[in-house]
Order: sequence, then C-alpha cells, then structure tokens
Amino acid sequence: MTDATTTLAPAPVARRSHATLGRLVRAELRWIYRRPRTLVVLGLLAAIPVIVGIALTFVGSAGPGGGGGDGASLLATAAGNALVLPIATLAMALNLLLPLSAAMSGSDALAGETAHGTLRGWLLAPVSRGRLLLVKSLGVATFALSAVLVMAATGVLTGFVLNGTDGLVTLSGSTLSLPAALLKVAIAAGWVALQLWAIGAVALAISAWTEHPMVVLASVLGGVIVFSVLQLLDALEWLHPFLLNDSWLALGDVLRDPMPTGGLAEGALRAACYIVIALSIAYAKLSTKDG
Amino acid sequence: MSTSTTATDVVAPEGAATPAAALAAQTRGLRKLYGRTVAVDHVDLDVPEGAVLGMLGPNGSGKTTTIRMLLGLVRPTAGTVSLLGHAVPEHAGHALPDVGALVEGPGFHPFLSGRENLLRMAAAEPRLATGDIPHAVGEALERVGLAAAANRRYRGYSLGMKQRLGLAGALLVPRRMVVLDEPTNGLDPAGTREVRTIISELHAAGVTVLVSSHLLAEVEATCTHVAVLHAGSVVAQGELAELLESGSPALLVSTTDGTAAMEALRASRIPSRLAPEGVRVDLTACTPPEVIAALVHAGVDVHEARRARTGLEDLFARLTQEPDEEDGS
Amino acid sequence: MNPKKRAVTVAVAGTAAGAIGLGIMAMPAGAGEAPELPSVSAQELVESVLKADPPALSGNVAIDNDLGLPAMPGMAMLNVESARVYHDGDHASRIALEQNGSEVTLVQNGGTAWSYDAADNTATKTTLPENAERKHKAAGQDELADPSSAAATMLDYVRQSSTVAVDGTATVADRAAYELVLTPKPTERTLLREVRIAVDAENRLPLRMSVLTNGTTEPALQIGFTDIDFGPQPADLFEFSPPQGAEVTDSQPRNKPEQLPDKPAGEVTGEGWDSVYVGSVPPETLDRRPDSDGPDARGLLDQFGTRVQGEFGSGYVVSTKVGTALITDDGRFAVGAVPQQVLTEALGTR
Repeated sequence: MTDATTTLAPAPVARRSHATLGRLVRAELRWIYRRPRTLVVLGLLAAIPVIVGIALTFVGSAGPGGGGGDGASLLATAAGNALVLPIATLAMALNLLLPLSAAMSGSDALAGETAHGTLRGWLLAPVSRGRLLLVKSLGVATFALSAVLVMAATGVLTGFVLNGTDGLVTLSGSTLSLPAALLKVAIAAGWVALQLWAIGAVALAISAWTEHPMVVLASVLGGVIVFSVLQLLDALEWLHPFLLNDSWLALGDVLRDPMPTGGLAEGALRAACYIVIALSIAYAKLSTKDG
Repeated sequence: MSTSTTATDVVAPEGAATPAAALAAQTRGLRKLYGRTVAVDHVDLDVPEGAVLGMLGPNGSGKTTTIRMLLGLVRPTAGTVSLLGHAVPEHAGHALPDVGALVEGPGFHPFLSGRENLLRMAAAEPRLATGDIPHAVGEALERVGLAAAANRRYRGYSLGMKQRLGLAGALLVPRRMVVLDEPTNGLDPAGTREVRTIISELHAAGVTVLVSSHLLAEVEATCTHVAVLHAGSVVAQGELAELLESGSPALLVSTTDGTAAMEALRASRIPSRLAPEGVRVDLTACTPPEVIAALVHAGVDVHEARRARTGLEDLFARLTQEPDEEDGS
Repeated sequence: MNPKKRAVTVAVAGTAAGAIGLGIMAMPAGAGEAPELPSVSAQELVESVLKADPPALSGNVAIDNDLGLPAMPGMAMLNVESARVYHDGDHASRIALEQNGSEVTLVQNGGTAWSYDAADNTATKTTLPENAERKHKAAGQDELADPSSAAATMLDYVRQSSTVAVDGTATVADRAAYELVLTPKPTERTLLREVRIAVDAENRLPLRMSVLTNGTTEPALQIGFTDIDFGPQPADLFEFSPPQGAEVTDSQPRNKPEQLPDKPAGEVTGEGWDSVYVGSVPPETLDRRPDSDGPDARGLLDQFGTRVQGEFGSGYVVSTKVGTALITDDGRFAVGAVPQQVLTEALGTR
C-alpha cells in the first residue's frame, strides 16, 4: 500500500461528465478482438472459402441437378470462377454461420457483460445508457463487418490462388476486369454486412432483456430456423415480405450483369427497418434496466 | 412480511443522527419492490461528508439494494436519493464521476489480465485524461498490492486477488466518495487489514466512505458512523460512539461496599444491579449526577464512575433479533 | 420526461417506423388505382399494337405460375420466376432468365443469337440464316402493310370463338394501360374464363398477359412487366462473347428444338378455345427415364396422374387449372385447355 495523499490529491482534470465516445469505442473493440472466442470464429469463417474452393477444385463440382438451396447452385458454378467463390460462400454462410456469429457478438455485448458483472463498471463510471447502446452497437457492427470482410478476402485470395485472375465470369456470361470483380465482391460483402447488422441489432435487443448469453444465441438460432421454414410455406406468402431473409436470395443478383438492383435494395431497406425496430426496443429496455 | 412492520417500531435511537453536518449522500423514503417482494422500505439514510459509514445488516437486509439505488443502478419504486448534491438517478451522471464503487463483488473479464481489465474500466472514467490512464491503472494496482500479478489473466486470480482488483477499480480516480459493498469478502486476515488501512487512508484524506458489511468487528474497527439495516429498513443510524452508548445507557460505579450502594439507590428509586466490575446503574430514567448525588448523600464511597459501553455486537443483536423474538412469543 | 415513459415512447415509435417500412415493402407493387384514359375500341387498340414498334426498353418480367402443375423433377426450365428483358428498339435484344442462383442469358443481335447457361458454363451460338430474317420481315411487312385491315382480319378470326372487348384500365409496372379481354363464347368447352392483355396506353406495347380460369379470381398464369423503363440501352448489352473456359457449341437453326428423341406426331382437332392437340408416341417412351437419375415416365404418371378408362382404352389423366392431358397406355395422347371429357371425345374420334 503506497502513500495515500499522492493519489488522493485533487486532480487537475477537465470536469467532463463522460468519457469521449472514441475512447469507449476503442476500449470496446480492444475487448472484442482480444477475446479468444472472437478470433476463433473469425478464423473458422476465414477457412470456409478456402475449404470450399479446394473442395470444388479437386473434388469436382457438386454435380448438376442438385438444385438444393441458393448456395448450392451458386457453388455449382464457383469452381472455375474466382469471382463467384467469395460471393457464393457468403451466401451460404448467410444462412446460418454468419447470423450465429453476429448473435454471439450481440449476446456477449450486453447479456455476457451483465453476467460477468462488468457492465456495472461502465454504468458506474458513468457511461449513460444511450451511449452504452451506441458503443455496443458499433462494436457488434464492427465485428459483423470484419467477419464478412474476412470471408470475402479469403474467398478472393483462394480464387486467385486456385484459378488466377482470369475467368472472372458473371452468371450472365460476361467477363469482368479485376477491379470490376472486386467491386462486385465489395458490394456483396457490404450488403451481407448490412443483413448481419440487422441480426446483430436483434441480438442486442434480446441481449438487453436477459443476462444469459445462451438465451440470445438460442433465440437467434431459433429465429433463423423459423424464418427459413416460414419462407417455405406458400400459404404464408403475405408474411414473407416481413421476414428479414425474404431477400437473401437476391445476393446472387450481384453476380448477374447488368446487376438487377430491385431485390438488393429491398433487402437493404428491410434490414434497415429491422435495425430501427431492434435498436429502439434495445434502448427502451436498456434505459430502464436495473444495473 | 410481518417483520418489516415490527422492525419500524424498533427505530428507537434514531435521534442520534447529526443533521447539522453536510451530507455526502441522503435517501428519503426509499422503497424498492421486486414484483411483490419488498426489498427495501422506508430507508432514510444519511451519509455525513467525511464520515466512514458502516452499513450493517444480515444477508438479505437490503444493504446491496440500497447501495444500488444510491448509485443510480436501480430505480427506486418510491423515494428520493441525493448523491454529492445531485438527484439520483436523474442526474447520476454528474455525481458518479466522483464516486468510486465496488458493488456486488468484483466484475471482470476472465480472459483479460488484471491490468487490461482496469484499462477497459478506466477508459470510461470521465475524470481521467486519455494519456493518464496507464499511469492511473498502474497506481491503483500498486495500491491494492496487485502490481506483481497485474499481467496475469483474471481467470487465474484467487478470490482475494479478485476482490483487490475490484477495489482498485473503485480507486482509479481520486474520489469524493467511495462505496464498498462487502469489501473484505474472501480476503485473508492480512487482506482485511489492508482494506482497513485503505479505508482509514481515504478517511484521512477527507473522502466519504460507505462500507457495507455483515462483519461487526470490521465496522467497529473502521467506521465513524453506523447504519443498521434489518428486513429492508434502517433500524438505527448515527455516530458509532453515540450509538454504542445509547444502546443501553448505564453507569458503572466502583465502590467498596456494593450492598450499601444498592440500598441507597433503591431508596432513591434508581434501578441497579451488581455486576462483576461494580454496581451497574441503569440511566434510562436518571442522569449520572443524580446517581452520584444519591450515593454521596447516603455516605457510600465512590471510587470511580464511568459510562458502560455496550459492544456493537450487543447493539446489533438487540436491533436485529428482537423482532424475531417478539414474533416467536 | 419520465424515463419509463421515454423508453416506451422510443420503443413504440421505433417499432412503428420499422413496421411501416416493412409494410410498405409488403404492399404489392403497382397496385394503384385504375388510371383515367380516353376510351378506345378493341379494334383501334389491336391496330395500334400491330402498328407500334417496340421501343428501346429495359424491364423486369415476372412469371406467376399458379397452374396447379405437380412439382416434377426435370422441369427446371419452368422454374423461371423472373426475367430481365432489354431491347434496343431495333433488332437486338437480351433476355436473362433468372433461376435460383443461376441464370440463362439469351442475346440476339441481328443474325446472331447466343445462349449462355451459367449452371453448366455452356454457350450456344446460333447463326440465323440471313434470308430467314429478311423473309420474316418481308412477310411481316406484307401482312402488316395495312395495320387496320390486319387488325380487322385478326379480330374477325378471334371473334368466331370469343368476345373481345376493352375492359377498363390498369396500372402495370407504374404504366397506365388498357385491358384487352378475350372471353370464350359460351359454346366453347374450355377450362379458361378469360385472357387479359394489358397494353401500354402510350407505347401500345403489351405489358402483361393474364390467363384466368373458371372458379378462381387469381390468374392461373400471368406474365408481365413488374417494372419497365423506356429509353436507349447501352450497346454492349447486346454483344456477347463467350467467357474463357465455357463450352461453346455452334448450332444451326432448326424449326423447333427437339426435346424428345421420338418426336410426337400429332395434329390439332377442333377450333377456338376447345382445340385439342392429339397425337401419339411410341409406347416404349413411357418406360424411358427423362433424367438419368429420375423415375421413368410411367412412374411419374403413377405419381401425378389419375388412372382412367374409357372407349379409348386405359391411360392416365393429368389435370391442371388451365388444361388437361390424357395419355393412353398404347402411347396416344391428347392435350388441351379443356375438361377431360373433351379429350376422351377427341381420342375417340381418331
């Protein structure tokens, strides 16, 4: 124990009533990316395009007629096409793995921190509830974006390694220049990130209601499954436009030339609506929640 | 909740509080319901500035809930809180930067080291300039004796080390008030002594300290003021010394002839009894001068007369157990 | 404001805003009110359609198929839900048929036509005989030398079996359109109730065709633009060079693409709405598998058809909302937009 008087002398520090947003976000990001779990998930996501690319090249295409989901048929054309591989693997991962990653991030952000008793530390500092939600949202959004970018990047690199920079052929049979192909991958990645932000926002909203991270993960997993099943039921067609995954098939449109924008724009708007709803509910809960 | 109604009846020594002193924190009519369960009811707590207030109470008496409401973590169902002159929780943002707190045990991330955990906590401290953070963290770690283990993962810390890290979090910034909820939980005797030292250092520097505990010896050793909670209500509060005296006012009289003294007092209708250390005179109905006068008048030799001090333990037992006994009868 | 109240306000406002946004997206596009248009007779409308040259355009065509077809394997081509159509206003066009996760692109520019299938990375180049185009044009010009008489001839023919009328207006792909309606005469024995064709009021381009059947309000089959933009299109849309690595085949134009090795031979009997196409295939065909891994045709018929017997012998009948098909065990078949009874009569007359 050291001398008390030195540390207890009144500090000549600006009498701010809150820490700067940038500092909080930096601390949040450091926390996210120092977490072993985060790195493991990013590593696994990065490995998917590599595995798929190698499998398609050396094992051969999945075979015609196997018209399963969107990802499967996109992948049928991915073998010889370095442009298709990143986008097809993103489309495939969007069905389950990427949503779960976003949900994990959202569950750690509030429920996990509450469970560890660490949220209290920031609330007492104090960080206002509104800023807390803002910082947490930015953290989840950054993680989701990094997950998508990591997949896109390894997808592009795997494509280059396996097939070189030639043969960047769209579904419409046109051949793209390298920058044009990278632009398409970037558009796809950005759009997938937006969908993940919507899922992350929903996860944050659930996260604000519970202190059990597993509840958040289970809810999002359940939601993804239920939404996919609902999409299959033609009798519920009126409901489909309200489901986030209604326009997920539109991701394949990025690979068409010229690119039809209708489905993508609709999907982006839908994601934005989900973000508005989820964040407003998250704010309402967090601002009245006991710390 | 039959005990809560009887408990309010026991608020006998309430007048001991000194309203003249400036208050660092004050609650009025504080009440918190969780569903239908009354966690805290009618809590009027005064924390004088510069005091070390020990909040005593058995587990479940509402200590932590009161502290959480005081810090704006929990919104009271009814009542008001004022912390360092600011209404809480409405303006908690103005008060909290000057308040350090360790509530409900230490909360840290297991995969980060002690230092990284504190760095993360410090990032949110308004009173710390960004450049000063590493220094402040280093100093706080030093202060609680964790400097050597600072770079080890929190996961591997012992219970005592975790508690110390929590304490370091409360001391990151020079504070006007420090709130410690069960700070010695899990600490060995040496650790407990260190916490006492820290509290007295804070006290010496003029910092108001609110420390909750169920360990009476700890409170008696470190506190200037005491508030006793029982079943969600404050049953007694005030300066420690006054409370101890008011607990059972009595005068101890040393004399050569105890029997004569007893007779003289009985004649003056002053209740008394023989105790090992002398004659114990009940002061509920009379004052010490009256007692001395009665004895001297009767020609009894009075060698020494002094106030009898009850231990905190006696007081605490009386305040918190009586209602149960009444219930039982 | 009381924090609880504020929280509730924020939650309600945010949820409402988001839900309204979702609701707007859920509203069917182009479900506007019927526009006010100057009235036009059926003959004038048909005439103007024949006269009009399709302008340069790009658009999305949606195919809504509620035929009640059984879901059969090997019918991937029918699985097209939408197509993007580009036209340069002259003689070049591009059609992209979107299938889930794949695409078939058809590019036609003058005498050259390309088709590219992304699913198996194959391109087919077809050189149209020069004279074919010229002949087509010449013939067209002959016929359409006088659009008004052509329209009259056409309408006369159609009116033998149908009532033709302009029945109000509609909004299709945000364009005002006339609705031309063909209704079968009561004597026609058909499953169809009417065929509606929406014609753009300005360009006189057919924008949508709907086939409605008896007993339903929703079209059994509808092909129409969901959005359309008129204006010049970039020229490179109509150029196609096969991508590196694609399997390219050159093909000579044929009158009809051969789907089956044993071409069914047959003829049309009857007239108007209750025409029936009657023909026969070698009976062995029924036992051949259309797909290497699929079930044979007889298996499919067992699964989706109904066993029937009559004067024609015995066979299977497959019914959909718009038509019926009957195939006998000895390989004779009849197909038409008619009830089953008309088919058995057609087979019986053979």
